[in-house]
Amino acid sequence: MNRPMKVAPVTFQVLRARLSGVVQEMQFSLFRTGFSTIIRESQDASCAFLDPTGRVVAQHVVLPLHIGAFPACTAAVLRDFGDDLCEGDAYLINHTYEGGSPHAPDFFVICPVFIDGELLGFAASMAHKGDIGGPVPGSCSASATEIYNEGLHMPAVRYQRDGETNRDIERIIAANSRTPEVVLGDTRGQLGSVRVGERRLQEIAEKHGLDELRNYFEDVLAVSEQRVRAALAEWPDMEVEAERFVDDDGIDLEHSFRLHVTVRKAGDRIEFDFTQSDDQTRGPANIRPPLLRAACAYVVISLLGPDTYVNSGLLDAMDITTRPGSVVDPHFPAAVNTYNPTVHAVVDAVFDAMSAIVPGRGRADGCASRSFVMSGGREPGTKKYVQYEIFGGGTGALKDRDGVSGSSVNHTNGKIAPVEIVESEYTARVKRLELIPDSGGAGRFRGGLGILREYEVVEPARFSLRSTRHKVAPLGVDGGHRGRIGRLTVNPGTPQERVLPSRYSDLPLKPGDTFRLETPGGGGYGNPLERDADAVVADVASGYVSEAAAREDYGVVVTRDAKGTVVLDRQATGKLRHERALDAPASDVGVPALAQEVIAE
Amino acid sequence: MPQYRVAVDTGGTFTDFVFLREDTGELSIAKRLSTPHDPSVAIMEGVDSLLATPEAEGVTYFCHGTTVGTNALLEEKGVRTGLLVSEGFRGIYEVMEQSRPHGPALFDLNYRKPALLAPQSRTGEVRERVDYRGSVLVPLDEEALRTTLRGLEGEDIESIAVCLLFSYLHPAHEQRVREIIAEELPGCVVSLSSDVLPQIREYARLSTTVINAYLQPILERYLGNLRTRLIDVGVTTAQAYVMQSNGGTATFDKAAQKAAATLLSGPAGGVTAGARLSRMCGVNNIITFDMGGTSCDVALIEGGAPRLTNGGLIAGRQVALPGLDIDTVSAGGGTLAGVDAQGVLKVGPDSAGSVPGPACYGRGGTRPTVTDANLVLGYLSARSRLGGSLALDTDAAARAVREHVADPLGMDVLDAAKGVVDIVNIQMEEAIKGISTMRGYDLRDFVLVGFGGAGPVHTAAMMEDLHMAGALIPAHPGVLSALGLMMADVQHDYVRSRLDALDELSGPDMLSIVDGLVAAARADLSEEGFADDAVEIDYTLDMRYRGQGYEVPVKVSRGALEQGDTATMRKAFDAEHLDRFGHAAPEESVEVVSYRVTGRGLVPEVKLLEHEPVGRPLAEAQVDTRPVRFGDSVVDTPIYARELLDVGVTFTGPAIVDQEDTTVVVLPGQPVEVDRWRNLRISPAPTSSESRSQEATR
Repeated sequence: MNRPMKVAPVTFQVLRARLSGVVQEMQFSLFRTGFSTIIRESQDASCAFLDPTGRVVAQHVVLPLHIGAFPACTAAVLRDFGDDLCEGDAYLINHTYEGGSPHAPDFFVICPVFIDGELLGFAASMAHKGDIGGPVPGSCSASATEIYNEGLHMPAVRYQRDGETNRDIERIIAANSRTPEVVLGDTRGQLGSVRVGERRLQEIAEKHGLDELRNYFEDVLAVSEQRVRAALAEWPDMEVEAERFVDDDGIDLEHSFRLHVTVRKAGDRIEFDFTQSDDQTRGPANIRPPLLRAACAYVVISLLGPDTYVNSGLLDAMDITTRPGSVVDPHFPAAVNTYNPTVHAVVDAVFDAMSAIVPGRGRADGCASRSFVMSGGREPGTKKYVQYEIFGGGTGALKDRDGVSGSSVNHTNGKIAPVEIVESEYTARVKRLELIPDSGGAGRFRGGLGILREYEVVEPARFSLRSTRHKVAPLGVDGGHRGRIGRLTVNPGTPQERVLPSRYSDLPLKPGDTFRLETPGGGGYGNPLERDADAVVADVASGYVSEAAAREDYGVVVTRDAKGTVVLDRQATGKLRHERALDAPASDVGVPALAQEVIAE
Repeated sequence: MPQYRVAVDTGGTFTDFVFLREDTGELSIAKRLSTPHDPSVAIMEGVDSLLATPEAEGVTYFCHGTTVGTNALLEEKGVRTGLLVSEGFRGIYEVMEQSRPHGPALFDLNYRKPALLAPQSRTGEVRERVDYRGSVLVPLDEEALRTTLRGLEGEDIESIAVCLLFSYLHPAHEQRVREIIAEELPGCVVSLSSDVLPQIREYARLSTTVINAYLQPILERYLGNLRTRLIDVGVTTAQAYVMQSNGGTATFDKAAQKAAATLLSGPAGGVTAGARLSRMCGVNNIITFDMGGTSCDVALIEGGAPRLTNGGLIAGRQVALPGLDIDTVSAGGGTLAGVDAQGVLKVGPDSAGSVPGPACYGRGGTRPTVTDANLVLGYLSARSRLGGSLALDTDAAARAVREHVADPLGMDVLDAAKGVVDIVNIQMEEAIKGISTMRGYDLRDFVLVGFGGAGPVHTAAMMEDLHMAGALIPAHPGVLSALGLMMADVQHDYVRSRLDALDELSGPDMLSIVDGLVAAARADLSEEGFADDAVEIDYTLDMRYRGQGYEVPVKVSRGALEQGDTATMRKAFDAEHLDRFGHAAPEESVEVVSYRVTGRGLVPEVKLLEHEPVGRPLAEAQVDTRPVRFGDSVVDTPIYARELLDVGVTFTGPAIVDQEDTTVVVLPGQPVEVDRWRNLRISPAPTSSESRSQEATR
């Protein structure tokens, strides 16, 4: 079953530790030399080594999705320059269709590494750029309908030859960005980082020899694939379907669109078939297969556990099928800039399907992710700024534990901006930061709670939102309830109150306006009537669940003792739970996740 | 009659003692089994044994490295803690940073945040609001506060943390809240965020303040009890200190007040000792490498000064107080080796711990550990004492390596053991690269200082692999952390945030902030018994380019502050940024975010005794010869007794040096010298220096 290893066991671990050290050094170098806060704060940047055929053999996991894009972008370099790769070359690509960049702001710098004239592989880095042109700052317009609305696109281009930079390329980039110094600074930082990787790889090759390294690459890819296949072989064979919906594509606000997957697991093979997913969208909600593959890999790694080697080997154990013209395999030049809502839906659907195959590892849906951009300073005499914030919410409950409140979820991992930083640097004032009571789906285990953050605008500003799950709620599992949907309300509680759709560009705000972002809670797991009553009491005491919801959703009656402490009314609870169980035996159990079910009231 | 300085370092297994006789400078060491239920029991045993010796007249100085706070935090056994926040902001604590840690946590379905030390049910809101300039938007509503506090009365809160927005600019609200708590919840201990850490970024400040509140009564009780017991046996010196995370000490009272600042008390001692020791011996750039049973700590010291950080995560919780920058890797003597289903050899991160421990301990462990591999290779002898345990079982070690590594891989037992050691070395080497090469330092300029029970076994090999300048094994590597306690000054850090553009600041502006901090430093140190001329004050500004999300601390002089010499500060910042991050942006505007003052009370320096040769030849120090595996071959290797190695002797490896608390392994070809302080100085083997110079010229 296992293919014999080509390198000695000790050498294998020595090379693995050395290579992972080198990729980490590349990553450090990128964080060190990059300029933008995107690189250093959101750390939307990754480094990797690839073999001569463009398969990732070592990666430093910062954000899990990048594992799909590295091979696709390297394939473009091999396709366009494969017969003329030389030591001292470096290539640049950010094109979603020519290569596999998730969207144009993600630049990939790829450098072939040679030992004695032979190609050993590639050192590569990717990093998100603050702005590369297009109609809105940040290059991610919610109303883009083709990639021509999404900033400058480069196919694979030769950025360096003999270590000399092609300045014309830098001039073109500079001429297309609103922040040229930062973008070029970051791109050069990426270059520095791949050169560090190149040098270190050459040092290792000098010690171990080209053949041993090549053999190691084959071994480590094989081990990774074998680990996935060994796990697959233990899981039962079956075919399972699942689907998830995304609110809308930002252009057609009337329709949700569907991500559908059929998972076919047979022996040590697994196929993820997305052919029944909806057609490509007009708005920028499409994703391409490299991203889709990474989303599937994310789920598989999560199910396998931390021993998984994150490299292309695990992708070899998975087959992905798509239908050209669909939202996960769109025709050029469909717009792609806001890919995250779609990827979250894919991840949730694949998790759902896999939960039938991998018993005990199911989870309810989480909050997905969202960001807003508020910019100001267009008026003369005011300070110019771009305020970019990223939000999570509640994560889904598991079979044996509650979801996490106020957290990032799935493949995304943004930090929340401190209130004191926001108020000191920008002009908005933050009025509230709270968890939302009753937002976590009720269940034997409860979904995590969403976040409420409310702002008051102090100077004129323009506001854009890229969110999701404002219409389609996170689903519960096994009788667990849905998490509460998200919402963005402008001027709540006033006659001017207005609810924005989940994707919105360029809303003007004036001083005194307020807006409130409420993010979704996670879905619950299991029948809430079976939740430990003391846990419900603790939730009420902590304000996670209201007394009304305790009664309504959980059948738990609470009261207060002489000191004012929340305590369980055991008798009333027993009675109520008994009645409820008779009324509605395990209401949602077994109901498939169909479209009409998931559109929240 | 002689007086003694006493240093006590409480560890998980052993409590280490160093006694310094003041008149002669002689050091003696002792170890006792730790008593985790009450660490002071082991401490008093050690102190009693010293005082029982007829010549001991008294203790003039007592310093303690403690894990009481750290353990209470890790085991979540602090006191019942409450929390007060600004109205509308009860989400700050639970949301934390919102993100998960990098790496495997992103794939971990079971990820959860650390439990709230002050749960929502014990959290109250305070109606008040201060803005980013420190102006009051909503005055403190005292009546509402009293109602809130009365509502918390039934919660049996022992300690309460108060963290209001922008309190670092306007502490008056928090101070008034403390007065009202004293009236409404008498006896409740209060930690104010504006005292603990008056620094911008509310979550970090809040988390640090809650941890402080959670641990403060624990530490206060523990140190109070220890103090009483010390006085009972006649140890009444006012110079009784506790080591803090910043590498400086504090009196018992001050340490208890700022409990959160003692969380790295344990590892800080070793780094401080490494820094002092190497400075004394004329080595200024070192990496300290402290390897024990389950983990190893590495730290970088440049120019005699350890690198500092302004905080980090402890068990997933943010502690934003200044501390020594120490990186910990799960690699120690107890680290387990094995082979997985795909036939891949794996070393770590799991550990056999002290129970059952390595197979060779004969306490029921059957799986091979790094210690077992070292024994099989001949690096350790069956008689190695490893700090007092019984004789080691070489057969059990060999059996474990054969069954769990060699046979499954079809390898020879010695090769398998060598592989296990090579792999764990590489993991530790990568950690060292992480704090050095990856941050722009050149390891060829650094000496590796190995200590801890397991460190000296691995030091020489790692020094060679990393192409470092050499290695140094101190005279008492097993108790170096305790020695460090004796060498540290009293040190307190003070911070205050106020965000301004650097070029808009004047001298009086800056002084108005730092002088408040200086006054606090002088007052605290004076209470601790330091006259003005025994106090040193340092100034640091945390600066950044406008729009950056983090700051870089830059040292500035008193003179520059007084003159408002922002141009010099600006240059220093650009230089520091270039140094740390590889680039600077002299055109961008610079902001000052926080002001820091460090106050140091200088304690009389410990002068380690310099020894003269007694004329004992090397041959007399050799107690044995045994076969030891180096590289691909087994070599008959001389075994020396450390205590018999005379000052000034030199020899060339291979060699094993046995001593009471550890074993030193020297590779073939490595020259060794015993210096005046009885340190072993190990140089790289000459052939590898040649290859190094080739690399340097390439």
